[in-house]
Amino acid sequence: MISIAIPTGVLLEGSLDLLRRAGAADLDQEEIGRKLLVEKNSLRVVLVKPADVPAYVDHGSADLGFAGKDQLWESPGGHYELLDLGFGGCRLIVAVREASPLNGPETWPPTLRVGTKYARATSEYMAGLGQPVEIVRLHGSVELAPLVGLVDAVVDLTQTGRTLRENRLRVVAEVGHSTARLIANQASLKTRTLSVQQLVTRIREAL
Amino acid sequence: MRATQESALAEMRRWGYRYVITPTLESLDVLALGLDAGELRRLFKLTDADGSLLALVGERTIPVARLVAGRLRAAPLPLRLCYAGPVLTTDSGRFTRRREAYQVGAELIGASGPVADAEVIAMAVRCLDAAGLRQYQVDVGHSEFFQGLLDGIALPADLKPGVKAALARRDFVALEALLDETPLRSAEHELLLRFPALRGGPEILDAGGKLVRNRRSERALSELARVHELLGAHGLGQAVALDLGAIRDFDYYTGVIFEGYGPDVGRPLAQGGRYDALLARFGREAPATGFMIHLDRTGELMRRTTEGPELTWLDAAIAWTSSGLEDAIRLAASLRMFGMRAVVDTQPRSLAAALAWREAVGARHLLHLAGSGRAAWAAADRGVRRLPTDRVVEQLATLPRAVGGVPGEAGGGGL
Repeated sequence: MISIAIPTGVLLEGSLDLLRRAGAADLDQEEIGRKLLVEKNSLRVVLVKPADVPAYVDHGSADLGFAGKDQLWESPGGHYELLDLGFGGCRLIVAVREASPLNGPETWPPTLRVGTKYARATSEYMAGLGQPVEIVRLHGSVELAPLVGLVDAVVDLTQTGRTLRENRLRVVAEVGHSTARLIANQASLKTRTLSVQQLVTRIREAL
Repeated sequence: MRATQESALAEMRRWGYRYVITPTLESLDVLALGLDAGELRRLFKLTDADGSLLALVGERTIPVARLVAGRLRAAPLPLRLCYAGPVLTTDSGRFTRRREAYQVGAELIGASGPVADAEVIAMAVRCLDAAGLRQYQVDVGHSEFFQGLLDGIALPADLKPGVKAALARRDFVALEALLDETPLRSAEHELLLRFPALRGGPEILDAGGKLVRNRRSERALSELARVHELLGAHGLGQAVALDLGAIRDFDYYTGVIFEGYGPDVGRPLAQGGRYDALLARFGREAPATGFMIHLDRTGELMRRTTEGPELTWLDAAIAWTSSGLEDAIRLAASLRMFGMRAVVDTQPRSLAAALAWREAVGARHLLHLAGSGRAAWAAADRGVRRLPTDRVVEQLATLPRAVGGVPGEAGGGGL
């Protein structure tokens, strides 16, 4: 029996679709949403919060996992990142108020105050630019923070840019591009090589 | 955990490895000779009275290397040494806030080649065996195989650090993107991308041999083949897999590398390999190989797989009433002389209360002394018998001894 962790939220539909096309498990959203853990055709599928997928995989509680690259930036660990699954595409961007005088990195103040859920990716990106930064860790409604003067800029994910426009924010820089990835526990690749590799191959072929 | 450490050290002694004690606090300059920038950053550091920087060790191979090049410099090579102790890191990891971990390890210094490599791998496996692990697997790879591939694919110089970094992060998505930028594609490219899948029995060496076109990788393959043969002679054919995709600390390891895994533990229990470049940095050039066991992970696995705590870790619980105390003390001393583990109660107890106390302390035998020159003896599986006190020792000495380590270790919660 091997197990795979899949994320709730925006990546769920694409994840279930991919498992179906790979012939691994045919699950509907409602069923997995209700049970959180389903075993079918000697595959155990567990449904966890997107940010928790790397933890399940790194610890070996799941052999494989589907995780957004944005989560992997925040939780680099002992896992193998095997495949770009292509779906769930979005950009991690730096955004400011429409009326803000700030534009590209050359216009940023000596210390930029940034609100984000992605503290690690943000500090790495800013360090790469040589931009001193004060990070305010936020957990939701990140768009609000610059509007009320809490921060100069936010670093957040955007797919279409609509939420940003609705909150009168504009993009001034891109930190990275994220898609869903297939990750694997390092020990699972060694101790359950055959069954793990077989599933990886089927997923690769279904892409 | 202690029990795992003791059994591993006992096994190492059987292989002729001598125990050495190395400091937990080292000069930062010394540790810097063997660590990369990231590892150095993760050390706990403090300042000495004269302003020099000290650090708590994050691993124990470097202190052993220093010992061999320093205090033991007159000792003829090869040296077989083993050690145990805590290591510290500021990186608290994802699963625990604990920054202190325990390792037991061994180093074979001054011997190169597959014979030494196989000895160390076989000993690592026997140590896991001795610790009581029944299911395990060892993955053997070779750091030069990968280095040869990197040479072989004529990577543009500006891409090389990125490729190494991606492999170190095991990020094959980034790796593929980088390799797409290289002008020439060869079989060796494909090999690099299939890295995590290059694992199996000796047939993987033939498969790899057909695809590589460089001396470094070819030599690595032939060394691996020899190590695999020798591990067969060590009786380990079953537990060993060859893993050409093993990638770890490229700048440290110079030859055969290996990792040991247990069931349902997401991380390796034992790790090791050849590091021929380290000793020279301390002024005594010598090939070396070694390994260490993560005691925390192994101990955790043992706790999960053994059923409940080992209840009978004592041989004898000795209770007494009224004038029986001095007999009890003398009896305990005699039992200890025969190598048995014995505890004397600290307060008088009736026989009935003593039977309950025996359960609580977890002893195989209860002896109750009331000062009459006779003892009441209750074995775990039998009723109470009475016999003269001076015959207790000869009776007990012929029976099987208690096993198990320290109470609480096996079950995790204490007795």
